[in-house]
Amino acid sequence: MRFWEGIRLSLQQIRAQKLKSFFSLLGIIIGITFLIAVITIVEGMNSYVRDDFAGSIFGVNTFSVVRRQQIVTGRVDMEARQRQRRNPELRMRDVGVVRAAVPYAKHISYSATTELDQVRYQQYNRRNIRVIGGSAEYEAVQGWKVQSGRGLTPIDDQQALNVAVIGSNIEERLFPTTSSIDKQIRAGGYRFRVVGVFEKQGGLAGNLRDAAILIPFETFQRTVATRRQEIDVIDIKVSEDHELDPAIVEVEGALRSDRRLRPAQDNNFWIQTSSDLLNAWETINRILMMALPALVGISLVVGGIVIMNIMLLSVTDRTREIGLRKSLGAKRRDIMFQFLTEASTLSILGAILGIGTGIGLAEIVDRFSPLPAAVSAPALITGLFLGLGVGVVSGLYPAYRASKLNPIEALRFE
Amino acid sequence: MTVNTGAETVAPMIVTRDLKKDYVMGAETIHALAGVDCVIQRNEYVAIMGPSGSGKSTLMNMIGCLDSPTSGEYILNNQAVQDLDDDELARIRNRDVGFVFQTFNLLPRATSLHNVELPLIYAGVSSKERRKRAEHALDIVQLADRMDHKPNELSGGQRQRVAIARALVNDPSIVLADEPTGNLDSSTSSEIMDVFDKLHEAGQTIIMVTHENDIAAHANRVITLIDGKISSQTTETSNQITQPPKVVLEAASAIPSASQPPAPKSTSPTGETP
Repeated sequence: MRFWEGIRLSLQQIRAQKLKSFFSLLGIIIGITFLIAVITIVEGMNSYVRDDFAGSIFGVNTFSVVRRQQIVTGRVDMEARQRQRRNPELRMRDVGVVRAAVPYAKHISYSATTELDQVRYQQYNRRNIRVIGGSAEYEAVQGWKVQSGRGLTPIDDQQALNVAVIGSNIEERLFPTTSSIDKQIRAGGYRFRVVGVFEKQGGLAGNLRDAAILIPFETFQRTVATRRQEIDVIDIKVSEDHELDPAIVEVEGALRSDRRLRPAQDNNFWIQTSSDLLNAWETINRILMMALPALVGISLVVGGIVIMNIMLLSVTDRTREIGLRKSLGAKRRDIMFQFLTEASTLSILGAILGIGTGIGLAEIVDRFSPLPAAVSAPALITGLFLGLGVGVVSGLYPAYRASKLNPIEALRFE
Repeated sequence: MTVNTGAETVAPMIVTRDLKKDYVMGAETIHALAGVDCVIQRNEYVAIMGPSGSGKSTLMNMIGCLDSPTSGEYILNNQAVQDLDDDELARIRNRDVGFVFQTFNLLPRATSLHNVELPLIYAGVSSKERRKRAEHALDIVQLADRMDHKPNELSGGQRQRVAIARALVNDPSIVLADEPTGNLDSSTSSEIMDVFDKLHEAGQTIIMVTHENDIAAHANRVITLIDGKISSQTTETSNQITQPPKVVLEAASAIPSASQPPAPKSTSPTGETP
């Protein structure tokens, strides 16, 4: 009952000085906003990476052979990077070696990629696209599904036909009203006939597929390729989970022996697995989570100091009121409680505002950027308790000062 | 406990014995109270007068349990108060003392009702009971129709009546008024003094600090302090100035009756303010 009286009184006090209260809360609001926004986005990324990312970029049970390491996590070994620059390009011969090494593989594909300024159809265009030249099984390895029309066939590749399967975003841009099938689009000075459209992927990885054009590998080499016969990636997909690790070992061994590497020599190629990507994300995640407490902590400390100052001012401003309350029978703990409640109410209010803006910020990021966001209950509870904690800690000294006031002097205070 | 000040049957409301209060200011020690002996009976109406620096505020603070004496004894309503700690003093202020201040000291953002409820909050009274008792107290000072007004919507006299209602709401042993009319014009002053007079008639013990003779004239007894000591006091029965140190016994015999008019004193003009 007295508790609610204290809350009521605090709210009254805060309402009486809205602007001052708001400014005194800025530090806390910013701190908690930051906390909530970052945690929300990191959580979103986590669930995304866990649920979609690895599968959608890599496909399940898939690994790749590339010329050199692309994703580097942790400390960068410059010497190793330098060495990898001398790795030979991947060629059709390597594809044959891989095929021979894992005859049980479900799909093996090879591909090359280039970036183009734009793709056009009549007056429509889409800027900054990726053109992938993929062998026949490319879609199967990636797990990309065609939504309308057809996918690429071995014949397309053998005959190097100028055909293309386009991402859903490209279709939206180039064919806002009409169907895209059998239309001729122009990219990099060549014409391609659209034979199919991929299903929309959306999300962060969506850019990879939705804004891409897939053409046959042979066609790629004869048209948009910057260097002939270079293969960027060989993708290997196995049927079963337990086949993955043996397949990696066999491919590695086969490539080493084909390239006549001695046991002491490093691989002059790189085998990339989905765990590379997950490791990369985990590193980023860890750094964010390490920096977060420091950043939030600084804002909260500043916010706490501001609240302490405001409360000290408030104690001075209300010296007479404190004297009066004491003369009417308020004990030291009553006064202490009143000011602690006020500081806590103030800072919890700040925390609530911070949570609100934090969620708002995360929503905006979620909506207008490919970064996903997921509000997590622990983050909200942490935010509230941090708010309460800052209030109690920063209110303690002012409340103590108030409770120590001599009622006679306080009453006489001008 | 009972107080042994003689062979009386009714315990006095207030007894002080050799009450002293020293303030140390740098190297100097100021004797604000230099040994005050006084007895105030139940239902007495006492004015404390004296020039500034005479110790009347200090005495008032002692009586109101806002401060503890350096030495001496203070018994309020059968309770020895001089050795109590802060929290116990707060409890006594809450239950036994009703303060009325010169500057009203109302909470500016709170309604009359809430202002009057304030002491009850610290007494731990339930909100329903608080409201009932606060309404009753406001009724006594005839402000039942101003319950939801805030202080800035009230006249000076009305504010002081809210303050009086607040002083009464805990049914205190004494009402302690510090220059209650100091901030009021003369007609409002007499309105407030009427309230005090009626309270006294109803049996309330009232102690008032004032420097105005015509206000002091409402009291049945006037205690005058000079240099931290009682220099003189009138008694209702004798209407004469008596000299310390025999005051204690004389005061003990001066049980006032409510129906009598304010005691005239040789040192001040009698009657109401015009």
